[in-house]
Amino acid sequence: MPVKSYKKYVSLFGFVAPAFVLYAVFLLIPTIGGMYYSFTDWNGLNRSYEFIGFGNFAEALSEDPDFIGSLWFTLKYVLFMIVLQNVFALALAVFIESRRRSKGFFRTVFFMPNMISTIISAFMWTFVFAQVLPQLAEKTAIAFLDQAWIGDPNVSFYSILIVSLWNGVGYMMIIYLAGLQGVPQSLKEAALIDGATPLQTFRNVTLPMITHAITICFFLTLNGAFKVFEVVYGLTGGGPGRSTQVITMNIYEEAFSNNFRYGYASAKSVILFVIILIFTFIQIRVMKKREVEA
Amino acid sequence: MKPSKTTSLLITVMLSIGAAVSFFPIYLAVINSFKTQGEMFRSFVALPTEIHFGNYADAFEKINLLGSTLNSVIISVLGIGGIVLCAALAGYKLSRTHGKLSNLIFFLFVASMLVPFHSIMIPLTRMAKSLSVQGSTYGLAIIYIGLGVNMAIFLYHGFVKSIPRELEEAAQIDGCNEFQTFFRIIFPLLVPITVTIAILDFLWIWNDFLLPLLMLTDSSDFTLILSTNTLFGEYNKDWSLILASLVLTAIPVIVIYSFFQKFIMHGIAEGAVKG
Repeated sequence: MPVKSYKKYVSLFGFVAPAFVLYAVFLLIPTIGGMYYSFTDWNGLNRSYEFIGFGNFAEALSEDPDFIGSLWFTLKYVLFMIVLQNVFALALAVFIESRRRSKGFFRTVFFMPNMISTIISAFMWTFVFAQVLPQLAEKTAIAFLDQAWIGDPNVSFYSILIVSLWNGVGYMMIIYLAGLQGVPQSLKEAALIDGATPLQTFRNVTLPMITHAITICFFLTLNGAFKVFEVVYGLTGGGPGRSTQVITMNIYEEAFSNNFRYGYASAKSVILFVIILIFTFIQIRVMKKREVEA
Repeated sequence: MKPSKTTSLLITVMLSIGAAVSFFPIYLAVINSFKTQGEMFRSFVALPTEIHFGNYADAFEKINLLGSTLNSVIISVLGIGGIVLCAALAGYKLSRTHGKLSNLIFFLFVASMLVPFHSIMIPLTRMAKSLSVQGSTYGLAIIYIGLGVNMAIFLYHGFVKSIPRELEEAAQIDGCNEFQTFFRIIFPLLVPITVTIAILDFLWIWNDFLLPLLMLTDSSDFTLILSTNTLFGEYNKDWSLILASLVLTAIPVIVIYSFFQKFIMHGIAEGAVKG
């Protein structure tokens, strides 16, 4: 029935084309284009360019201390974020879920920072770190508060973490709360009857039941943390020097405010993509195995 | 499993301290935005002795509040509307057709969800320039549609599976063509997932920084976030002014949050579980 199958394609085309055209132009082609140019020495202006194989990749990973520095800095950040964001979010969710009357109030308060744009949060905290805390330290003589929160890269790493957590924990908390509500009450009661302590119940009943939520939150945190940009941009601008520069910032600088090495910057983007892909793949593989059905 | 009275009290106390710490930066931003620069530097933590609106008048003008908000609204509304319409059509059809071609297209959409924005921002900027959609709020909205349809299609695709096919067959017997069936019968049934998609996309587009930064060049086209960013760069010692503009920028989302909190939280949980 050639007429019918022809009709089928027309109808498929009619429904899918609007989405597909925009997707192809602004996402698919740029993705492929970026990969293509990462193997060239194109500067973005000249008409001619040459293929240089893996030259850009080799240079980025062996001869570019700024990029390598940003890579390590980002990895360290990702590691801290995965642990801290999930621990805080899960702890908050568990504590809030155990409240009866104040549940809604605490949920509202802890989620609120997530509504505020990341870059606005970073500006708000710049005020806290640069102005408020030094003054508080002076007035209250709490020496701990008197840090170069933004000026010293060793300290500003933690400042960046604080702002990221402040901004991001609420989102994960909501997902964990939804997960906790899916744990059947009967299972917890059964554990109680069998004489389990609250901690044992949490470890052996609740935790296995919410592994799906944990997988999702790890995935989201991992993905988001590798792509961190706004917090660092707003807080330290990558400085002093390039000591707090993250991968995305290094790419941004290379492509838009440096020397227009378009092919080279594209290679760095591809490296970021591949790193995220590998880590995500491993994470999903490892965690999917542990999930149990209700 | 009821925790004992003391543990229960301890948890409440800990949560309260956490909530206070979490709220502290917002409190600081709000109270100091009502102080004069001089009063602020005497104490950041104290409440203002008199409410001083000068910073707000100043910020209102310097971030072009009405214009910037309008730009943000235009971009969000067009972007979300476009995503919902394009993705609902495509997600529905892809969910109902089972051929090699439709599977391939669906796979392309889903796989692209893993591409980080920062990996495409360079070619995307060039593409936008060559299509001359750079430097326009409408152009930016169109780009958001292109970047946002993949996730929306994924969510629609899953949701459509729960709608019985008999509904469409009945409509077709009654003489509806395919598009009529979609708009009259299917689309109204997609409302729950549409709300989820609209919320997730609103939070993304309204709060986005990097894409507008790359795409918008003229300050009269700037979104609220971009205008505040410019002000932060220009007046970086004038904290009372900056704080007033930060508060003004945060107000719309906080208002929306207070009205739609239930929907937003439901949308996030829903979107995450399906994802």
